[in-house]
Amino acid sequence: MYSSLILLPFFGVIVLNLPFRALMKKCAFWLCLSIVLFQICLILFPQICCFSDKLDALGSFFKFDFAVDSLSRVMLFCIGIVLFTALFVQRNNCEDEDKIFNFANVSLLILCGMNGVVMVKDIFSLYVFLEITAVSSFILIAFNKESVAFEGAFKYIILSAVATVLMLAAIALFLVISGDTGFSAISSALKVSQGRFFIGFAVGIFLCACFIKSGLVPFHGWVPDAYSSAPASVSVLLAGVVTKTVGIYTLIRIVNSIFGFGDPIKHLLLAVGAISIVVGALAALGQKDIKRMLAYSSISQVGYIVIGLGTGTALGLTGAIFHLFNHSIFKSLLFVNSAAVESETGTRDMDKLSGLAKKMPLTGITSILGSLSCAGIPPLAGFWSKLIIIIALWVSGFRGYAIIAVLASVLTLAYFLSWQRSVFFGILKEDLANVKEAGFGLVFPALILAVIIVGVGIFFPLFINSFALPIENILGG
Amino acid sequence: MSSEVINLFFYYGFFVVMLFIIGIYCVLATFNLIRALIGLEILIKAVTLLLIAVGYVTAHEALAQSLVITLIVIEAVVITISVGVVVGIHSYNKSLDVRKIRNLKG
Repeated sequence: MYSSLILLPFFGVIVLNLPFRALMKKCAFWLCLSIVLFQICLILFPQICCFSDKLDALGSFFKFDFAVDSLSRVMLFCIGIVLFTALFVQRNNCEDEDKIFNFANVSLLILCGMNGVVMVKDIFSLYVFLEITAVSSFILIAFNKESVAFEGAFKYIILSAVATVLMLAAIALFLVISGDTGFSAISSALKVSQGRFFIGFAVGIFLCACFIKSGLVPFHGWVPDAYSSAPASVSVLLAGVVTKTVGIYTLIRIVNSIFGFGDPIKHLLLAVGAISIVVGALAALGQKDIKRMLAYSSISQVGYIVIGLGTGTALGLTGAIFHLFNHSIFKSLLFVNSAAVESETGTRDMDKLSGLAKKMPLTGITSILGSLSCAGIPPLAGFWSKLIIIIALWVSGFRGYAIIAVLASVLTLAYFLSWQRSVFFGILKEDLANVKEAGFGLVFPALILAVIIVGVGIFFPLFINSFALPIENILGG
Repeated sequence: MSSEVINLFFYYGFFVVMLFIIGIYCVLATFNLIRALIGLEILIKAVTLLLIAVGYVTAHEALAQSLVITLIVIEAVVITISVGVVVGIHSYNKSLDVRKIRNLKG
């Protein structure tokens, strides 16, 4: 039944571009929304989809071969909920029917690509779906055809293409020893021919490509530019799921299923993660633009995920995936809040804003919840995932890294509090006296995301039992 | 694998490495947006040649052919989108010089 998650968006695009353009323009948004809601329902309640046998037949007709485990299900849920949010934000920010039609088209393509990345079990299909996602996100960044957006998109194109070339070279070198592109075939071939120079080289450049795609610190140059120059809805999508799927998810999947947790890989992941945490947090402290600050914060939080993965234990992997889920939720919530502030006041400069909490109460409350969850304040969801990561680091003996993670958490709290203070608290400036609460399309998704943050935090014991225990089974699988 | 085939692979490998170096030099050294894209093309060509050579050496020609054809299609799509973005940049700046598009900083 999971093949329908790729086939439905694909046929959705075809249906939207059939000759009835006038009719399709009216229903494009709703078609896209219903496909996204179908995906969320399929993940939450797999048993209700009783017609899935027919879809299975369709999937076998297309020769799809997918593997879905608990890690994929978490990512599929994140993709659904963040794309749902992005669609509402786009509809709120833009009245033009043509633009909504185009956005729905490209977001169906990106949905198809990301679902593919999450479900494949063969390294060349992984590359194909990564490129579908990357091309759709280039189009989305330059969606409003602004000067800065083209610039951000071009930086992303160059770095992403270099990452792709590195990845393909690694795939070619793996083909020398395995003769097949499946994850399991490459994994067993790697075990046989350990220690050869070109294999180590191939593993290194593949990891490098994943670091570029996920925006970790030595390669983070494109992240703030792409996030801050893109339209509001696209920033939600990029920060929430796109870079997480193409970068971090790929990294977790490849390290877990192919490379295994050898000592060099562990130390590389831990070092890159720790540098990303510190550099991202320090750079976020100095930003004046809300979206740039959130982008640097995103780099820092991705560092937590990678450092959790670097422990190589089941606990660390659980923490990394839980933080991946939480990061998708709270970072898209914060980008929705920044979109609300920008659409009502017309600026993202923190120096020009103050005291908005009185005028925009819902945006203020949800953004406080998002920031506190990101900074790791109990009982919100972000606290538990950071706690698991730090415990995993401590238990597996990387105590220095655990201390870095705890101290950087204080930096996170610092930049989020300074953001809250300068934008939402304080005295209302005179030129902001006419500001009112943002529209339904910006408040409704923010409320849903805030409810998820609080709900997951409070009902954490229930959640961890249904969520974390299955993850241990996929380790080394 | 006979020694002849392996020797052939090293000749191919030499040209793949040369193409990689030319491509990376082209991306890094140029200030022109179109030339940067041409550098990327050369890099992708190097990888394509590597895939073909690997397919020949390991006697998996069919697999390598299908991979290379897919790769060529995807590459065409990526370059089309990138050239579209370059046209967009040119319509704002009337120039293709990287040094003139420094709006994003920080």
